[in-house]
Amino acid sequence: MSTSRSAIESFGNAFVWANRFLIGLFMVVMAGLVFTNVVLRYAFGFSIGWAEEVSRYLMISVAFLGAGLALRQGSLIAVDLLQDALPAKAARALRMVIVAIAFAFLMVVIYYGFAYALQFWNNRTPVLRISQGIPYLAVPIGGIFMAVHLLLGLREFMQRDWLAVEQLDEDDAEEFLSEELRDHPEPADGAESRDLRP
Amino acid sequence: MIAILLVSFLICLAIGLPIALVMGVSSIATLLLAGGQILPGVDPLMIVPRRMFSGIDSFPLMAVPFFILAADLMTAGRITAALLNFSNTLVGHIRGGLGQVNVLVSMFFAGISGSALADAAGPGAIAMRMMRRGGYPAEYAAALSAATATIGPIIPPSIIMVIYAISDDSVTVAGLFLAGVVPGILLGLALGVANYILATRRRMGDKIPRHSWRERAVSFWKALPAIMMPVIILGGILSGFFTPTEAAAVSVVYALLVGLFVTRTLTLASLPGIFVRSGITTAAVLLIVATASIFAWLLTVGQVPQTFAALISDLDLPQGVILLLMALLILVCGLFIDTLPAVIILVPVLAPVAAQFGVDPLHFAIMLVLNLTIGMATPPVGPVLFVMSTVGRIRLEVLSRAVVPLLLAELVVLVLVIYVPSLSLTVPNLFGYTR
Repeated sequence: MSTSRSAIESFGNAFVWANRFLIGLFMVVMAGLVFTNVVLRYAFGFSIGWAEEVSRYLMISVAFLGAGLALRQGSLIAVDLLQDALPAKAARALRMVIVAIAFAFLMVVIYYGFAYALQFWNNRTPVLRISQGIPYLAVPIGGIFMAVHLLLGLREFMQRDWLAVEQLDEDDAEEFLSEELRDHPEPADGAESRDLRP
Repeated sequence: MIAILLVSFLICLAIGLPIALVMGVSSIATLLLAGGQILPGVDPLMIVPRRMFSGIDSFPLMAVPFFILAADLMTAGRITAALLNFSNTLVGHIRGGLGQVNVLVSMFFAGISGSALADAAGPGAIAMRMMRRGGYPAEYAAALSAATATIGPIIPPSIIMVIYAISDDSVTVAGLFLAGVVPGILLGLALGVANYILATRRRMGDKIPRHSWRERAVSFWKALPAIMMPVIILGGILSGFFTPTEAAAVSVVYALLVGLFVTRTLTLASLPGIFVRSGITTAAVLLIVATASIFAWLLTVGQVPQTFAALISDLDLPQGVILLLMALLILVCGLFIDTLPAVIILVPVLAPVAAQFGVDPLHFAIMLVLNLTIGMATPPVGPVLFVMSTVGRIRLEVLSRAVVPLLLAELVVLVLVIYVPSLSLTVPNLFGYTR
């Protein structure tokens, strides 16, 4: 039991790592291609014909392949008012309904996503002349990624306990504030904790 | 059919399904129940992957990930502090000083980032802590940061405007960016005045001495790399050097170079994390655009825009009243729906009606974007309030009450923008971006 659990855990970690790697890589290549094209156009008077098409497909891939990570981080905004108002048991039941609906949605996206990609498999993209089905695969594969993330993070999703987001070094910013902005004394802690969220 | 769409939408929204999925699920429910009459003879669900893909298959839309990335690269580290220091030397001595600094820094930051959430979570949170230490009540500091964050999407660049331009062919991203400049500055002024009045009446605040021009020049120099960013973006677009998407990509490289070599706040080791972070934010935004485009397609197929236009025409009201009614409708939608899906749903329905009544498309666009953006700081669904409430550890009810006078100031600006079209149109006219 414990070995299978740790196997799932290490698969989960590897999956998150690989998913993050892909997203980061696509972002870099995308920005690099568009920027390079601007430079080439002004410096050398020509541009890479396929850059626009490739960067567009990369953006679409970032959107669908990154959606699962966004879900895990709680970056997909939802209206939590009802859940917050309900007693714990009912809120839990509602949370299960949400998970079920989300899975049903993903099944539709995955099934029809593949069907759609297959339907256009013999068409070619305008510039690269690759199969049109290849970029279309971003939709169902993204659906699979989201479903896997939902399964791996099911317990956390039920409790709305989100995966940590990387922080920009904003706390460091306070170090560099000028004296007069920084040197105010901290207010008494009691004043703050009175206002703590439930 | 439209009834199914709206009812399932409201149910899914209310139970707390993520909004990106709400639009997809309600569209699928409609296609399942009424798909036969829309697309006879084919499997109606095939429209789902088709619209999801084509909804974000757009080169102009790529400005969104680039603006997100550029802002993330720029914010990491000292730039926020430099902007705060510079703002302080300029307006810190005015009554409600730290509050004025909060307002001004949001205006500067709006020129770097195109998102109210980024402003709230970044400089908004820091300005809030600063105000608290300066003796302002915690809920007022958080409320002001929430209110000033709404300047972000009005002063260019703006993610929501990029998406607006995709939903309405009669406006361009460049035109929208220019049209947002004056209303954005007005919003800042209105919040500054509101803060002045509140600081006076509630005896809040601090005594910061007036700074010399020498101090101002020094802090300006340190903030210059950040202030140059909107100059590059707008200058590049206006001079015809770049398209908005290219300008966004150039601003990414600019932010990268500044961070690595000028301010030295970025390290090579920190870059992968920032790229991934921006990529995930991008995914969260674009997934909504993708699923909302199935939803918007159904609205169009259901002839909602035409029906709505006919309904409004039958009322036979003057333009001013119609604009007011539409503003109220948008405001109510903004209370419950997040800005992004609201733009994608409302624009195809309302923009043609406005055009039919002789409202300039750019004027209408700014009115709609400003209206929805104000909705980001209103309960019950106010993402900016949620951020400040979490970061500042203040109960949402307390924060919602504290933000009311500031929202009133923003509504004054909204009314001005609705009834004085030249506020939105003068700048784009100067550069030839109106019809």
